Amino acid sequence: MTDHGDDQVMVTLRVNGCDHEVVADVCATLLDVLRDGLSLTGTKKGCDMGACGACTVLIDGRRIKSCLALAVMQDDKDILTIEGLASGEEPHALQRAFVEHDALQCGYCTPGQIMSAVGLMQEGRATSGASIREFMSGNLCRCGAHPHIVAAIAQVAGIVP
Amino acid sequence: MTAVVTDKNDDRVPTRIEAGIKVKGAARFAAEIPIQGVMHAALVQAPLASARIRHIDASKARAQPGVVSVITHEAMPRLNQGAFLALLREPRVHFAGQPVAVVVAETATHARRAVALINVDYEALPAITSVTQGSSEAFAPKVAGRTSTDSRRGEPEGAMAAAEVTIEKRYTTPTHNHLALEPQCVIAVWDRDGAGVTVHTGSQAVFAHRKAIADGFGLSVGRVRVVSKYLGGGFGSKGSAWLPCLMLGIAAARHVGRPVKLELTRAQMFTLVGRRQETIQTLKLGAMRDGRLVAMTHDTVAQTSSFADYADPVATPTRVLYACPNVATSHRLVRVNAPQPNPMRAPGEGPGSFALESALDELAHVLKMDPLALRLRNYAERDQHVDLPWSSNGLRDCCRVGAQSFGWARRPIAIGTMRDGHHVLGWGMAAACYPVYRMASEAVVRIEANGTVRVRCGTQDMGSGTYTVLAQLAAEALGVPVDGIDVELGDTALPEGPYSGGSMATASFTPAVEAAAGRVRQRLIDLVIEDGESPLHGLSADQLVLSDGYIRAGTGNAAERLADVVARRAPDGIEAFADAAPDAAPRYSSYGYGAIFAEVRVDVDLGEVRVVRLTAAYAAGRILNRRLARSQFIGGIVGGIGMALHETTIMDERLGRIVNDNLADYLIPVHADMPAFDIHMIDEDDPHLAGGIKGIGMLGTVGTAAAIANAVFHATGRRIRDLPIRLEHCL
Repeated sequence: MTDHGDDQVMVTLRVNGCDHEVVADVCATLLDVLRDGLSLTGTKKGCDMGACGACTVLIDGRRIKSCLALAVMQDDKDILTIEGLASGEEPHALQRAFVEHDALQCGYCTPGQIMSAVGLMQEGRATSGASIREFMSGNLCRCGAHPHIVAAIAQVAGIVP
Repeated sequence: MTAVVTDKNDDRVPTRIEAGIKVKGAARFAAEIPIQGVMHAALVQAPLASARIRHIDASKARAQPGVVSVITHEAMPRLNQGAFLALLREPRVHFAGQPVAVVVAETATHARRAVALINVDYEALPAITSVTQGSSEAFAPKVAGRTSTDSRRGEPEGAMAAAEVTIEKRYTTPTHNHLALEPQCVIAVWDRDGAGVTVHTGSQAVFAHRKAIADGFGLSVGRVRVVSKYLGGGFGSKGSAWLPCLMLGIAAARHVGRPVKLELTRAQMFTLVGRRQETIQTLKLGAMRDGRLVAMTHDTVAQTSSFADYADPVATPTRVLYACPNVATSHRLVRVNAPQPNPMRAPGEGPGSFALESALDELAHVLKMDPLALRLRNYAERDQHVDLPWSSNGLRDCCRVGAQSFGWARRPIAIGTMRDGHHVLGWGMAAACYPVYRMASEAVVRIEANGTVRVRCGTQDMGSGTYTVLAQLAAEALGVPVDGIDVELGDTALPEGPYSGGSMATASFTPAVEAAAGRVRQRLIDLVIEDGESPLHGLSADQLVLSDGYIRAGTGNAAERLADVVARRAPDGIEAFADAAPDAAPRYSSYGYGAIFAEVRVDVDLGEVRVVRLTAAYAAGRILNRRLARSQFIGGIVGGIGMALHETTIMDERLGRIVNDNLADYLIPVHADMPAFDIHMIDEDDPHLAGGIKGIGMLGTVGTAAAIANAVFHATGRRIRDLPIRLEHCL
């Protein structure tokens, strides 16, 4: 991290396995830097105050709301966004399941739902329909895709919701 | 027996065609369109509910690095007045949150910082901050939605007096906000000469927005282009409610001579892009002991703003859903110094059905009748409100199918008898209807020499499945797979398409797309018949079928690829345009219908209400894609769950400000609130509707709140007439 004066610092963000050197405002959120600085607009801004989950990304494997994380604090961390989830052309199992179950309508909350579901599964919490519903409740959906989102996660987790 | 499709998804039904790019995060919403040199706008908002602006001091803000301009009412270019609030037109504040200045800066951060440095000197004026305060000044609006303000048939007063049983109750529904997950955004890019503008925005009506922009800025519509490829939800907030701020963003771009982006904050979405109005409804029912309704009156008082009138059509279900010879309804408004209300998913029918379907449940209880039997006893054989026959009315099928699947026949009539530990269970139901609306639409269908089929229609997809059904309509007509079809929508450069609102888009574009695709199909058939080189030469049209990308003889093996026909005989492709419009004077009344059954579980110690399961059956015309329709119905129902248990925009009456203008304090249903869903769609072939489409986006929201409130009554004996239902109601 290098000080560029005028509240600007240079930070190296490792996003989806690639290092990006970015000059960012010290108070810039990771969300704004991803969207505006790196043009990774798959991570969505829904409320900018940690209430909707549309901006969920994984940092060192843990799901966080990128609107509540400062970009300058992410030096040396592994950031995974929706753009880095697929393996090349091959979609992640959750991405495929979301399509098959129609687990989205407008699609705006979808990247956050999927990234949150990746985190949920890594946490070992995709054990029942009730557990999925409880631990996905930080990701709001206004179209009402909830039951299909839960069905998609359950399928990938190999459980009956 | 009517065919019923239950909620098991059929693998043969196409998945959402744009889902693949949405799950990759690759669908670009309006705020994500890259525009070179774009400036960022931020709004200065008034903290007072009513005020006059004495002076705005923007000197500190203007001196900040990165600030390009601060526009106040003194510098705002005059727009031609349209049917919306023209912001920054006068030094007057009508509601807390109203923009009084706009900052344009190099970055969004610079713009936000500058906003905090602007000093506005206000003279506070008296304000009405609630419907109750202004109720003595209630007045009749010109219309209620698309319907008449008042209605009257028969002699309601006399019939009410003669009824064997009457009930009179007051029901209230609060203010709601649409709260699409994608915040409203506009990026305005003026041509170099200032003679035209391209506008990237989330729009439920690109053509209506184009017209309003052209009128406002004195341009011909040909100089305005509105683009909205992906829409992160709308629910009514991205139609005309968006115009005041949309125009402000476009005006700011013209003022600074650079592209400008204005993206609303979540808090601003509570004040600047519409709301579902608060209602106070008085419902009287008169019935005979056998359950026959003999009189109904339904009078609504609702909030509007201090500067424009808007009334939801709250009384629609009361006017049409049940047979009753004597009915009077009215809608009145009260001007409040509060944001402008506008249509939100199931406008009117949603809150109105809460009152009507709760009142019927109350009547059933008084009569000791089964609530479902009471509805069926009052089935309407025709639309008595407009005195027309139904084009189709599947309410009885919905009741039968829904009740059977839910197990309604096992419902004990007594209150509070189904217990599970320290929980008590309750079963409630409601009926639903939503009018069929339709508008004119154009469409173009095209097949290229390589066989690619394109559909072009300037409507929008806000998550409703429009991309997919447009592809399906062309695929069906031309016998090609849905997968390879290229659909273009959300752009005024395309043929004019309908609004995405009022459940009318699909009903409107389907006849146009089917006609255009039918013309392409006919042309393909003509080409092979007349072409000596084709193996199908000389056959008649009725001997040919189009399937799997081939045109074939109905018998035998003669066949030819569509792509080969086009490449050989029409190398520039085949294209057809069609338009379709609704009948000026309909001879039938058309509604979609539903019946919804809810099981709730109430914690008797804590008063907590959980919806355990919801069964709903819908008869809503031809369903183009059952997979996506199921999603739409559930989406509507989830809105109804929010109406029943969660949603309310709370005003501080002293200051006239919204207390809970964020997604942590304004509750919407989350995953943990979801019941088990059991959705049924009843096949309905309505011969009187072009394309057979009724529209489904709104119907799920109608009736749901009443079904849940009725279930809470069945569990607890508490009749909740004020939404949302809260813990303290059930203790």
